[in-house]
Amino acid sequence: MTMAGNAHDSVKVAIKNLNFYYGAHRALKDISLPILRNKVTAIIGPSGCGKSTLLRVLNRIYEIYPHQRAEGEVMLDGEDILSRKQDLNMLRAKVGMVFQKPTPFPMTIFDNIAFGINLYEGLSRAEMAERVETALRRAALWDEVKDKLNQSGMSLSGGQQQRLCIARSVATKPELILMDEPCSALDPISTAKIEELISELSNDYTIALVTHNMQQASRVSDHTAFMFLGELVEFGETEKIFTTPTNRRTEDYITGRFG
Amino acid sequence: MNRGRYLRRRIRSGIFLGLSVGATLFGLGWLGVILGTLLYEGFSGIDLAMFTESTPPPGAMGGLLNAIFGSLMMGTIAVAVGTPIGLLAGTYLAEYGRYTRLAFFLRFVNDILLSAPSIVLGLFIYDVMVLPMGHFSAFAGAAALTVIVIPVVVRTTENMLLLIPNTLREAAIALGATRSHVIRRVTWRAAQAGIVTGALLAVARISGETAPLLFTSLNNQFWSVNPNEPMASLPVAIFQMAMSPYEDWHRLAWSGALLITMAVLALSITARVLESPQERR
Repeated sequence: MTMAGNAHDSVKVAIKNLNFYYGAHRALKDISLPILRNKVTAIIGPSGCGKSTLLRVLNRIYEIYPHQRAEGEVMLDGEDILSRKQDLNMLRAKVGMVFQKPTPFPMTIFDNIAFGINLYEGLSRAEMAERVETALRRAALWDEVKDKLNQSGMSLSGGQQQRLCIARSVATKPELILMDEPCSALDPISTAKIEELISELSNDYTIALVTHNMQQASRVSDHTAFMFLGELVEFGETEKIFTTPTNRRTEDYITGRFG
Repeated sequence: MNRGRYLRRRIRSGIFLGLSVGATLFGLGWLGVILGTLLYEGFSGIDLAMFTESTPPPGAMGGLLNAIFGSLMMGTIAVAVGTPIGLLAGTYLAEYGRYTRLAFFLRFVNDILLSAPSIVLGLFIYDVMVLPMGHFSAFAGAAALTVIVIPVVVRTTENMLLLIPNTLREAAIALGATRSHVIRRVTWRAAQAGIVTGALLAVARISGETAPLLFTSLNNQFWSVNPNEPMASLPVAIFQMAMSPYEDWHRLAWSGALLITMAVLALSITARVLESPQERR
């Protein structure tokens, strides 16, 4: 495995010797990987290689299911989030997540955004309106929904729902945003919009993006990690991974010879 | 290609369809006959006196006012007490305890309770309430009905919450919300229509229950609003009048039966409308 990445890029998350188990099944094997601040890190690999599992460790969302556990070290800004002392709700307030399928809450568009903000901040009505607008603008959704903020979030199209979910994540000002195949349920136009958005968001946020789509990884990410059967095969700058991978398996995968 | 094989399949398919339609018509036919008989026998008896006078003494005519009031009162108490308990228990099963042994056990017990003959539940309340209190009462009747409401609401609440995709819970939890916040603000809301349907079905279920009331609220020929006294109810009044030798009491019983049936029908239709997939709101 090669560790590339410029020395002056600061590390937001340092994953060290991470193992993950679904019951007795070991789904992640000794993963060590940095996620760099204000960069987009893409995680690619064939189905079942553990990419989503890796993402789900970073906000410990797996904890809501029994028989799932992680071992190792995941340092977020120098603090081990796998430690017992870590408060899970506080962790999740710092680490946003966007899912494969859009998950609007059964409430108005406005309330969808306000939901997360209300959890940790008591804002006045005007401040809240401003935050909601900012979040929707960031997600490039404002112009489409500004006249129907009181309509249900479920009434939007799939692409709009996904941007609503991104806005919802961004609204709480997380430090790290996890995206689990955010475009897999969307058409090419919505996908293009969201990719544009990801690039723009990376100015202010650290983003970890799991994707099946290698073009997407090469288009939006700064660094790419290639995983296979629960192992990290190769990590490096995206350009390098896609042009001159050092590992044979990476090369086979990105050229479409398997996977 | 073998046309013979295809033809045989077509014929078998036709026979199967015919049997299915026949069975459906057979079932629906009886429902039609029941509703028809009720309307024919009961409709003529519906008049103002039915809603303004209490059940008659032998040999006289009267109405069903006290029975209607009793049914409403005991039903209301049962729903008011049983629904919150059932809602919280169903929520525990679906949200907190989903994978635990305790939940597995509770689910089993609830299923038994759900299918227990209501007369057994009535006897139980007779034993724990009527005997110690020394008299029949509307309280005891309401308690018996509550015991019927709870498992219905538990079951529907759990089922409706299980239909909510886990990704919705994950999305809310991923924002840093506590479990109870997610339940109250997101999953309950997502399952709202189904949960309300469950409560309505519970009302429909108890409004026709007679057996558990015979042991608990008994009956009362007179107007009474005191829940600590025996109280009339529509099913028991119907039972009593239908068993009587008087022709005009029979007519009143038919009218009462029609009234209950229509009320339950209206509730069921409301429940179905709420339950049906709603257009995007």
